[in-house]
Amino acid sequence: MTATTPTAERRLGSPEVKRWIQRHGWTVGIWLLLVVLVIWYTTLIPKFGGFQTSTIITGGTSWIFLGVAQAVVVIAGGLDLGVGGMLVLTSVAAAQFMDGQSLGVILILAVLITIAAAVVNGLVGWIITVSKVPDIVVTLGSLFIYQGLALMVLPKVGGGTSGSFRWMFTGSENGIGSNPWPAIVVITIPVVIIAWWMGRTRSGLSLYAVGSDKTAAFLSGVRDAKTKIVAFAVAGAFSALAGFSSVSISGVGNPTTDGGTLTLNSVAAIVLGGVALTGGVGSVLAVVPAAMILFFFNPILSALGVDPNRAQVIQGILIVLVMMVAGVLEWRRSRRS
Amino acid sequence: MTETRTTPPSDSITDVAPEAPSIAKRLASRPQLVLVAVLVVLIVVTGIIEPNYLSVAGLRNSLVWAIPIGILAAGQTLLMLTGGIDLSIAMIATASAYVTANQSPKGTAFAIAVGLLVGLLAGSLNGLGVGVFRVNPLIMTLAMAAILLGLFTGWATTIFAGSTRMNDFMRTVGGGNFFGGRVPWAAVVWLGVALLVLYLLRRTGFGRNLYALGDNPIASRLSGIRAWQVLVAAYALSGVLGSIAGLLIGGRIGSVDLQLVGFLLLPSVAAAVIGGTSIFGGIGTYSGTILGALILGVLQSLLTFLGAGQGVQQVLYGSIVIGLSWMYTRLASAQ
Amino acid sequence: MSDTPNSVLTAKGIAKNYGPVVALRSVDLSVEPGEIHALLGANGAGKSTFVKVLAGVIHQDAGTNHINGDPVSFKMPNEAAEAGIATVFQDPALIPDLSLDQNLTISGLQHRDVEPWLERLKLANYDFGLLARDVPLATRRLIDLARALALDPQLLMLDEITAALTPEQADLVFDVMREWKRMNRSVLFISHRLGEVLSICDVATILRNGRDVANFSLDGVEESELVAAMLGEALAGAAPAADSGLTSSVADDTDVVLKAIDLDFRGKVNGISFDLRRGEVLGLTALEGQGQDELFALLSGDHRPNTGEIIVNGEPMVARSPYDAIRKGLVFVPADRQEALLPQRSVRENLAMPLYNRIERWFNLRRDEGKRVGAAIERLDIDTRAASQVQRLSGGNRQKVTIGRWLVEDFEVLLCFDPTRGIDIQTKTQIYELLREVAAGGASVLIYSSELREIPLVCDRVLVMYDGAIVHEQPAATATEEILLTAAHGLEVVSS
Repeated sequence: MTATTPTAERRLGSPEVKRWIQRHGWTVGIWLLLVVLVIWYTTLIPKFGGFQTSTIITGGTSWIFLGVAQAVVVIAGGLDLGVGGMLVLTSVAAAQFMDGQSLGVILILAVLITIAAAVVNGLVGWIITVSKVPDIVVTLGSLFIYQGLALMVLPKVGGGTSGSFRWMFTGSENGIGSNPWPAIVVITIPVVIIAWWMGRTRSGLSLYAVGSDKTAAFLSGVRDAKTKIVAFAVAGAFSALAGFSSVSISGVGNPTTDGGTLTLNSVAAIVLGGVALTGGVGSVLAVVPAAMILFFFNPILSALGVDPNRAQVIQGILIVLVMMVAGVLEWRRSRRS
Repeated sequence: MTETRTTPPSDSITDVAPEAPSIAKRLASRPQLVLVAVLVVLIVVTGIIEPNYLSVAGLRNSLVWAIPIGILAAGQTLLMLTGGIDLSIAMIATASAYVTANQSPKGTAFAIAVGLLVGLLAGSLNGLGVGVFRVNPLIMTLAMAAILLGLFTGWATTIFAGSTRMNDFMRTVGGGNFFGGRVPWAAVVWLGVALLVLYLLRRTGFGRNLYALGDNPIASRLSGIRAWQVLVAAYALSGVLGSIAGLLIGGRIGSVDLQLVGFLLLPSVAAAVIGGTSIFGGIGTYSGTILGALILGVLQSLLTFLGAGQGVQQVLYGSIVIGLSWMYTRLASAQ
Repeated sequence: MSDTPNSVLTAKGIAKNYGPVVALRSVDLSVEPGEIHALLGANGAGKSTFVKVLAGVIHQDAGTNHINGDPVSFKMPNEAAEAGIATVFQDPALIPDLSLDQNLTISGLQHRDVEPWLERLKLANYDFGLLARDVPLATRRLIDLARALALDPQLLMLDEITAALTPEQADLVFDVMREWKRMNRSVLFISHRLGEVLSICDVATILRNGRDVANFSLDGVEESELVAAMLGEALAGAAPAADSGLTSSVADDTDVVLKAIDLDFRGKVNGISFDLRRGEVLGLTALEGQGQDELFALLSGDHRPNTGEIIVNGEPMVARSPYDAIRKGLVFVPADRQEALLPQRSVRENLAMPLYNRIERWFNLRRDEGKRVGAAIERLDIDTRAASQVQRLSGGNRQKVTIGRWLVEDFEVLLCFDPTRGIDIQTKTQIYELLREVAAGGASVLIYSSELREIPLVCDRVLVMYDGAIVHEQPAATATEEILLTAAHGLEVVSS
C-alpha cells in the first residue's frame, strides 16, 4: 500500500501509480460511480440539500454495516447468511431493552448487545470449524435461529429507543433530519478501524491469508480455525451496528423483517464492492460506496419516475451480470495457473 | 487447493482390507432408519399431547403441510446433489401461481401451462448462470428471486392486473380431498412427483450425472460429463417443481399474492438437509427428503398444539438444520 | 552416522503413514553446525514428507526430533521457525492475494529484516508493494528464501529451491548457502540436480522407500555413484521385459494411432512430437515437474495446446473438454485417484460413469450396464466387498476402478499417468498384464511412470522428458534404470 521503493522493472509512466490504480481501481471506481450518481441525482430533483443528503446517508448506514460484516467473513473464505438475521435480532433487542431508558443505560446496553452479537456469531464460526459442516448450512441455521429469537424477544412491532441515541445514527431525534454528520461519523470510525486492522496488522491480514490460500497461510503460521472465529465475531458486531442504525431510523423494532433479504443485500454489496466470493480479495473501503449505491438505487429511480419495483429488477440483473463476468474471469484465471 | 497436511505421498506399499462395520457406520449407511424412527416418535409424542391428532384429519393436516415442502425439497435435493441450491424456488412457485391465477379466465389448461412455463424459464436461466457463466448458485438464485419479486410487483398492477383467484381445477387439486374426504388430491400429485424424481435419481444416466458432478466435478469432467448440460437441465427441472408446488399452494389458499410461498423456502432446504442430502453434493436420496418433509409436517402440527409461536418454530428449525448436518458430517467421517 | 552432542538437528526413527499409505518407515538424520547436507532420493522416496515433519507442517507417527539436544515437537510451522528451523518449501508459502510487504507482516517480519538478504539475492530494490501472485515464481522463491533467512535460523531447509531458478539466480543462492556455512549455520538441501549437489554440499543422506539407506561425505564422489546409491539394490531387481514374455515387438510400419506434432503449452511443454502405433505400449518417464502433467492434460483434452497438433487416426483433434478426446478414443487415467473417483458412490456407478456422458443416454440406464460393469470387475479382479462406497476400497482396488471405467466401452488409446504409484505389488502385476492385454487387443497405451523399474516390464518403447522436451528415446527392453535416471536428470546418456 505504501511501497515507495523504485521498481527494478522499467515501464512507461510511474509504475507505482499504475499499480495503485490496478490494485485500488475497483475501490476508486466505485467511489467515483457513487459521486457521479449523487451529482446526477441532484439534477433530477428540484431541491438537493441537507435533508436529502442526510436521508441517503442515514438510510445507507445499515446497508454499509451489513456489507462490511459480510465482507469480513467472505474475505476470510467464508459466507455468513446469518448477518441479516443478526440485524433483525439486535435491532429488536435494542428496541425492547432500550425503550424508556436514559442515554447512559442505552449506551451500556448498546455495548453489551454488540459484544453479545460478536460472541454468538463467533460461536457460529466455532461450530463451522469444529463440525466441518459448510458455512452455508450452518449460517442458514443461524439465520433461522436469529430470526426466531427476534420474535421471542419482541413478538410484534414495538419498543423504541431514546431520541439522543437515534440522533447518533441519524442526526435527528426522530430519525429524519437534515444533519448528515452524525451518520457520517458513526460510519467512518468503525469502518476506518476495521480497514486499518485488516490491512496493516498481523491478525487482520490473517483473514486475507486464510481466504486466499489455506496451505500457504498455515505454512506462515496462521491458524485457520481461530481466524474464522474472529471473522464471524467481527461480522456479528457489525451486524449489531446495522441493527442499531435500523432501529434509530424507524424508532421501533420489527421482528418480522425478512433477514434473508437483508443478507442478500449484504452479498450484493460485497459483490459490487469487488470482494471475491472465493475469499482473500477485496477491501471494506470499496464495500462502503457499493452499499451506498445499492441503497441509492431506489431514490434515483423514483426521481426518474421509474416504478420502485423495477429498481429491484435492475439491481438483481446488475448483480447477476457482475457475477457472470467475475465468474468467467475467475474460471479463466484458474485454468491459466 | 490441496491441504498440505493431508496430501498422501506418492509411495506406499501397504493396503488395508475394509474393517467390520461398527454401529455408527451401519447407521451412517442407513440414515433412513433413524429418520423413520424420528418420524414415528414425533407422531406418537404429538398424539400424546393431543389425542385427537391420531385421526385421519389430524394426520392429513400434517400431510397437507408436508406436500408442498416435499415438492419444493425435490428441487433442492436435485440441486444439492450437484453441490448447488435453489433459493429462488419459493419465488418461482409464487410467480407461477400468480401467472396461473391471472390467466385462469383464459382456460384452465392454458393457465396451468403458462404457470409451469414460468418455472421452466426461470429455472433454465438459473442453470445458464450457474452452469455456463459459473455464477455461485447461491448468488444466482438469490438474485433470481429478487428479479422475479421486482418484476411481479411491477406486473401485478400492469400486465398481470386482474384476477388473483386460482381456477377451480387447481383449487380442487390443491385443496380438495377424495376417498370420503380422507386423502388430499395434492398427495396424488406429490406421489407422481416422488415417483418421477426417484426414478430420475436411481434409474437414469441423468441421475448418475447429478451425483457424479456433486461428488467430484473433476472426475466428472475427466469422464466426459459436460457439467453445463447437466446443470441447466437440473435447474430447469427444479424450476418446474417449484411451479408445481406453487400451483398446489395457490389452489389450496384459493387466491394468490406475492408472499404466497416465501415462508416455505427455508423449510424446503431444511427438509433436504434433514433427509441426509449433503450441501457439498454427491450424497442424498429423495426418499430421505420425503421423510424430512413429513417430519417437518408433523413438527408443524406438534408446535401448533403446543401453542408455540413462530419464534420458537424458527429457532427449532435452525437448530435441527445445524444439529442434523453436524451429525451427518460426523457419521460420514466415521466411515 | 556421526551423532555428536552438538548436532544442530538429530532426528531418529521418524515414521509417517497417511492412512494405509506408508510415507516414511524410519528415517534418521543428524545435521552438524556449519554443514551443507544434501537429502537425496528418487521420486516418492519420502524427502518432502520428511522435510514437512521437520518443519512442523505434519506430525510424525513415531520417532523423535532434537534441536541442539533438546527434544522438540511442533504443532505449527512458525513454532519450528522459533526453534531455529526455517524452511523454503517446494510450493512457495507466500499468500497470493497479499502484497509482499503484507506477507512479511504475516510472518512477523518487517522489510528491514529481509533487506540485507534481498541485497545478496540481487533483489535490493524489488517492489514489495506487488501482490505475491503477480511476482514471477523464481522471484517468489528467492523472496521466500530471504524471509526464511531473516528469521535467522540455525538450520535452513531448502526443498527443490533451484528447480525454478535461472543458473545465475541459483549461483546467488549457493553464495548465500556458503556464507551461511561460514557463519557456522547449517543447510539441508534437496535437489534433483546432482551436479549442484556435488558442488555445494558436504554430506549426503539418501532416502529410499521411506528409509535412510546411506549417509556419506561427498568428497570425491561422482554423479554416477549418487545415482547408484539412490537406486540401491533395485538395479538387480528388474527383469527386462523381453525375458518376462510380456512385451511384444511392434513393427515400425504399423499404423500410427496417435501423433503429437510440435506441441507447445505455456512454457511447460516445449515442442513435443511423437508417434504412438496401434498395439504399442509407449512409456514415458521424467523427474517431477518436467511438463509430463501438462502433456497428459493436452492429450486428454483437458487443455488445448498453444501451438502444435494432436492427430488421432489421421484426424486432428480439437478438444473443448475431455469429452471430445473421449469421443476420439483417447481415455485418461489420472495420477491422482482423487481426481478420478466419485469417493462416495458405488463401484458400479464409478465404472459406469462414461456410459452416460452423452445427452441421448440420460433418460434411462443401459440394460447391459450390469454385464459391462461385471466384465470390467472380473477382468480387473476388483475386490467388491466394500463396493457401496469407493472411498472404502483399498488403494489398489481404487486404481483398478479408475482404469476399469474405460473398459466398459471401446477406446483407441489409454493414457495412464503413473498408474502403479503407491499400490501393492500384486495389483501392479495385474495392471501390467492388463496394459499388455489392452495392447494385444489392438488398442494402444501411453503410460507415464515414475517407477523406472516398471518401464522395461510393460513398455515396448520409452521416452524420457526433461524440461518440457523429449530428451531420450529407446526400446524399453534395454532401458536400464541407470540410463533412464541419467537421461531424466538431463545428463548425457553414454551408450554402453
